[in-house]
Amino acid sequence: MEALTRIAHASIRVAAELTPAEAKANAAAQMAGLAYGLAAIGPGIGIGMIFGKAIEAMARQPESAGMVRTTMFLGVAFTEALALIGFVAFILLKFA
Amino acid sequence: MRVHVTTLQGGLVQVRIASDTATGGTEATAAESTGPNPIAPEGKELVWGAGSFLVFLVIMRVFLFPRIKKGMDARYNGIREDFESADSTRSAAKSDVSKYEAEIATVRAEAAARVDKARQTLDQERSSKIAEANARIATKRAAAEAELEAARNAVRDQVAAAVTSVTEHTTQLAVGKSPDASVVQKAVQQVMQTGARS
Amino acid sequence: MFSTQFAVQKFAQVVSVLVSSEGGEAKPRGFSFPPINTILRWKDVVPGINKVVIIAILSAVIGTALFLVAAMKDARKAPKGSRNLAEIIVEFIEKNIIMETMGKDGMGWTPFLLTMFVFIYLCNLPGIIPFIQMPATARMGVPAFMALLVWVVFNATGIKHQGFFGYFKNVLFPPGVPKALYILVTPIELISTLVVRPFSLAVRLFANMLAGHLLLVIFALLTQALIQAQTQKFFLVPIGVLPFALLIFLTGFEILVAFLQAYIFTVLTAVYIGGATHPEH
Repeated sequence: MEALTRIAHASIRVAAELTPAEAKANAAAQMAGLAYGLAAIGPGIGIGMIFGKAIEAMARQPESAGMVRTTMFLGVAFTEALALIGFVAFILLKFA
Repeated sequence: MRVHVTTLQGGLVQVRIASDTATGGTEATAAESTGPNPIAPEGKELVWGAGSFLVFLVIMRVFLFPRIKKGMDARYNGIREDFESADSTRSAAKSDVSKYEAEIATVRAEAAARVDKARQTLDQERSSKIAEANARIATKRAAAEAELEAARNAVRDQVAAAVTSVTEHTTQLAVGKSPDASVVQKAVQQVMQTGARS
Repeated sequence: MFSTQFAVQKFAQVVSVLVSSEGGEAKPRGFSFPPINTILRWKDVVPGINKVVIIAILSAVIGTALFLVAAMKDARKAPKGSRNLAEIIVEFIEKNIIMETMGKDGMGWTPFLLTMFVFIYLCNLPGIIPFIQMPATARMGVPAFMALLVWVVFNATGIKHQGFFGYFKNVLFPPGVPKALYILVTPIELISTLVVRPFSLAVRLFANMLAGHLLLVIFALLTQALIQAQTQKFFLVPIGVLPFALLIFLTGFEILVAFLQAYIFTVLTAVYIGGATHPEH
């Protein structure tokens, strides 16, 4: 939270010397990077866990590897969606 | 005159008052972000993509996929039939082999029976011949023994006669009169029997 | 350890030099990222048709051509070439997607899922083909349409199989949940089935391909900027090999992503349709 306020302060300080459009673009760019960075943390951990557990399951029961792989990709798809929404938010903040 | 209010996280508020002429210079940088949203779908792309996909889908569904699927199924069925015919051929061959083996077994048993029979007849013949020979030997031996007995009896009679005559002579010499023949004969016979017995 | 730190430091210096290098008004030198619309929006070749449209049409044409050539061949011979490829794709759809998610009842969906998979894959693939390098799915048009189509299809399937009220009863009031929890579950299910599903389907495909495309653009631009660097720092030119190597690596990675996104889109479609056909008991 402290980091957030510091970034906000910094953007304010920069904004004081910029025109409003530039100030808005600056703030949006900073927030966009932050948003994507935050959005990537959870899915990163989640996808790592999914793959690890899937490998464990496949090593334990190689005969059910096909089913585990399909389910694994489903789980990855759902987890990854969060990171991708973060990416879309990044694009929206930065360029929209 | 325009008033710009910037609100940021943490509740910080910046109020900036600027004249219209002053902001004119920044329109160049702002223009970059006023273009169409990069995420929004573009009409022509959506329509053309939808059209091409739907045409592709219809062609696949109506014409191409059934053809390919039919070919695949036909080939798989052909392969399965081949497998089944191979299986039936294999089982037929196996039954042939077992039949042949059974025939071989019967033939072998027959041969063994014949050999046994032959051996049996051979044995019988041999034993009969042996018996015949034995019988012949036995009769011969019996004849020989009878001859022997006869000879022995003859010898004994001669010996008895000799002994009798000798006894008569000796008794005549010793006693001076000829002994009773029947007594002598009896004695001689007794001695001969004991002698023969001893 | 020291050498890598040193290398990273040097690299950072190089980048900072490039970024801060003073550019002329006419042609800015050094590394500058172009406005995003210049790398995503394409000018019309013919009015109403741009590069993305051409790629989408070509995907359908190439897919049709592949299966047409395959279908024309004698099916009884051992499959070779295009026929083999077509049969591998069909078997992949049947064994790895339908059997794993819908079971044997879902075999009727093979042509739909097959077409979907082939079309999305062929739309993704131009992202890594040199001199084309634009996946049609990195624009929202195609993914949005596909997601909408899937939304319509799985809802229609549910309504057809369970009746209008039966389907929505199963969606909104999933059985096996305590009565009191419906206050929480029903709105979540409503949003997740009717809004989040198509949205996430479209955004997943689109954002994956867009992110891959942007990565390739960034490393290509960085390579170009380093190799054409007109500064006094002569070592900048050979350093351009590093982003170029990463560009090659990422291109290989994008091949995997192109396949994986087509696969995931198809698997999720199969799961949604399967869920609408057979409600949970």
